[in-house]
Amino acid sequence: MGLVKRAKEDQAAPSKPHIRKYGRDLQGLLAQLHDDQVKARRWAARDLAAHPEAVSALCERLRVEPDPTVREALFGSLLAIGTEAVVEGLIPLLRGEDAGLRNGAVEVLRQLPDAVGHRIAALLADPDPDVRIFAVDILRDLAHPQAPGWLLAVVESDEHVNVVTTAIDRLAEVGTPDMAPAIQAVKDRFPNEPFVGFAVDTALKRVLGDG
Amino acid sequence: MRRALIVDDAVTVRMYHRQILEGAGFEVDEAENGVEALEKALVVPYDLLLVDVNMPKMDGYTFLKEVRSTPQLRAIPAVMISTEAERRDREQAYRVGANLYLVKPVRPETLAWRATLMTARGGSR
Repeated sequence: MGLVKRAKEDQAAPSKPHIRKYGRDLQGLLAQLHDDQVKARRWAARDLAAHPEAVSALCERLRVEPDPTVREALFGSLLAIGTEAVVEGLIPLLRGEDAGLRNGAVEVLRQLPDAVGHRIAALLADPDPDVRIFAVDILRDLAHPQAPGWLLAVVESDEHVNVVTTAIDRLAEVGTPDMAPAIQAVKDRFPNEPFVGFAVDTALKRVLGDG
Repeated sequence: MRRALIVDDAVTVRMYHRQILEGAGFEVDEAENGVEALEKALVVPYDLLLVDVNMPKMDGYTFLKEVRSTPQLRAIPAVMISTEAERRDREQAYRVGANLYLVKPVRPETLAWRATLMTARGGSR
């Protein structure tokens, strides 16, 4: 694929004269982040991983950056910085129209359990069901001790079928036998949805150990 | 036998759609994201693609763009299935090349007859 190929070419040529016109300090890298050349922007994005104060600039660049390899570098640096400021900068992307940005944000956030933990409750209570689904997606691989409990709360109380079934899908992986009654009860809340019945039966087999 | 590729990161959704399509007479493969799906589609001559929107590594829109710009794949009928019911999402799906946009959860009879109709109309590749 082209995307992978470009990344390999990039690794082989770290520093071209064009790039050297910028300083390698924070201000130089921030300027380079808006260069016309993809390679220059990509290197700036990567090097800014060493500058936690660049979080807002990295997040702003994500919103307008057209090149997927630069986007990847931007997300990589935000992950490396990994502060609560990164979480605050990425959460607005969950509401955007760009699926690549939404999914990139989810992938970074699920790798920042300590920084994102305090925002999960608010995301799960968001009025937009798609944001709540993204919150459940973050919980899927979030190494946080409260993750199963948060998922169970969604299963028990959320009113949107797609949010609940997404949570059931995740609980099938991390749920415990004591959660079975709550999962079973979802069928009664959505009696006319065939997928709910399927998802509940599938999850119960997994959490009860016979699937 | 007609062959379908289900592209979705949720295992329960893949299992559900597999059950429906197999019931409608399809042979079914699965992929967890767009990257894996592209690799499979370049090898196997699928008659139908069933594509989620939000997936890690490569989202459904990007995957369909790649499919439509790849000569050997561009004619495969594609159904985009998403949790997102907003009009803009539907429009974006059709813009990148979806033949049909369905909102989750999909009713079994709807998916079965739509898939059958799309592959009958398109014929074998």
